[in-house]
Amino acid sequence: MGVPLKSCYDAVIIGAGISGLTCGCFLAKEGMSVLLMDQHHRPGGCCTSFSRNGYTFDAAAHSFGSYREGGNMRLVLEALDMAGKIEIRRFTPSDIILSPDYQITFWSGKDKTVQELQQFFPDEADNILRFIGRLTDSKPLDFVALRSMTYKDLLDLYFTDDKLKAILSIAVFGNGALPPSLISAFTGAKIFTEFILDGGYYPDGSMQALPDALAERFEELGGELQLSCLVKKIRTDANSVRGVVLEKGVSIRAKYVVASCDARQTIFKLLGRKVVNSEVLHEIDDLIPSLSTFILYLGIDRPFKSLPKPGTNIWFLPYYDLDKGYEAAKKGRLESIGYMVRLSPDCRTILGFVNAPFRSRLYWEKRKAAHMESFIARIEEQIIPGLSEHIVHKEAATPQTLYRYTLNYRGAAYGWATFPGQLFTPVLRQAAHIKGLHLTGHWTAQTQGIPGVAYLGLNTAKLIMHREKIVN
Amino acid sequence: MAESVENEIISIIADVSGYDEDEIRIDSHLVNDLEMDSIKAIEIAVAIEKKFKISIRDEDIPQITMPEQIITLVETALTQKKEPR
Repeated sequence: MGVPLKSCYDAVIIGAGISGLTCGCFLAKEGMSVLLMDQHHRPGGCCTSFSRNGYTFDAAAHSFGSYREGGNMRLVLEALDMAGKIEIRRFTPSDIILSPDYQITFWSGKDKTVQELQQFFPDEADNILRFIGRLTDSKPLDFVALRSMTYKDLLDLYFTDDKLKAILSIAVFGNGALPPSLISAFTGAKIFTEFILDGGYYPDGSMQALPDALAERFEELGGELQLSCLVKKIRTDANSVRGVVLEKGVSIRAKYVVASCDARQTIFKLLGRKVVNSEVLHEIDDLIPSLSTFILYLGIDRPFKSLPKPGTNIWFLPYYDLDKGYEAAKKGRLESIGYMVRLSPDCRTILGFVNAPFRSRLYWEKRKAAHMESFIARIEEQIIPGLSEHIVHKEAATPQTLYRYTLNYRGAAYGWATFPGQLFTPVLRQAAHIKGLHLTGHWTAQTQGIPGVAYLGLNTAKLIMHREKIVN
Repeated sequence: MAESVENEIISIIADVSGYDEDEIRIDSHLVNDLEMDSIKAIEIAVAIEKKFKISIRDEDIPQITMPEQIITLVETALTQKKEPR
């Protein structure tokens, strides 16, 4: 168990995922004393990597977006002077969609992607141009006008071809765990522009290089990182935060507490029902989490001919009805829904992802091996012929595994489900109106992925700096 | 009523933006002065709708640049609510 060096800090941050790390770096950069803790033995949250038998696997997050000039991820990393600490390369194409009728590539340039889509859907050529133009040319605040719509509503404004709509939705479904008829247009549009049209970035080494570099920078800036350090309680008094309590009753005082972890856990367990007002409790009690994910990790003996390009996400769409896919995912019928597979940039490992429901440990123990084998068989049949001859290491993560490593409610892969009617509430980030307490990360707003949570981390740091009258 | 609407709206903007109420003027620029982004703009709209029990048209939100415009919009909505056509 990590033990903090001091008993009092300006700010303590719970959770060393990308949002907590980013927030910590910006606060430490302004001279605040910051303690950042994580229950896991390595930083990163959903953005970690692990090693087995000489193979390095990205545990969940496997690439990121928004790294173009002016993109949020680039702005955050540049503001933290990370240039010498991490090398980031873009793998192109970032995404390829395989459907019963088409193989469609999302290229790194917008124009080339538009041309590709127009070639397959000539009747929708002008609509494709208008749709992608709207998403890429809009100012950030223009997206606000999408807040009540679903992504399907948005697609319906532009297109009549249901196959095209599904092709423009599969990666949104994969990255948001909701079909277009349920996911908010705001989130769908953001996933499409930030993950797909500006996706495919990868740090040299593995995804772990990103949190490691942020952790190194955080410590250089004077921050203190404690891993394997579980926070048991957030202490409050007279509606103000006072600090946290760790295992074995270790008490740490702090003026600010940033919860960069599961929001339900923060409200119900770390704060407790007595501390949070009942209106907020009800509001959070009613929120529905996103689905979880079943992840396949394969180590291969050598590169072989049928492998896809390294660093490209291949999306397999077995049919065009994504509502049907969502219902199957909720019921755990993983073998009948679309999935994503990718060869790692080092060409040594293959990752497979499929949306999956949270179920008991026993449920997954019974089914894990069978799901793993059927997933491998599908990939071999549909994307990578001869795959099974080259596998030298295989394992899988179930929603229970995600829960165990991140303590995210119901193993949710993307925080709360991003329905239009859910989440656009200031209640989460305003931390139940307890002075000095802030929540950040993918449980607090309709923004997702590494750039989304990094942006929220920066934003939370700015709120605190503002309270401290630090002007920068 | 006008003054309390203004106070309530400034209080909501303060909560979401992190700026103190006395730093927010009715002619502050939401983006340039108060660092408004799309998420905060929606959070403010949702909080206002909840507080005043009105609905704000989605397409109106991106046109808003100052708290003054929000106040006008809310006051208009409240007046319409009182005098149903």
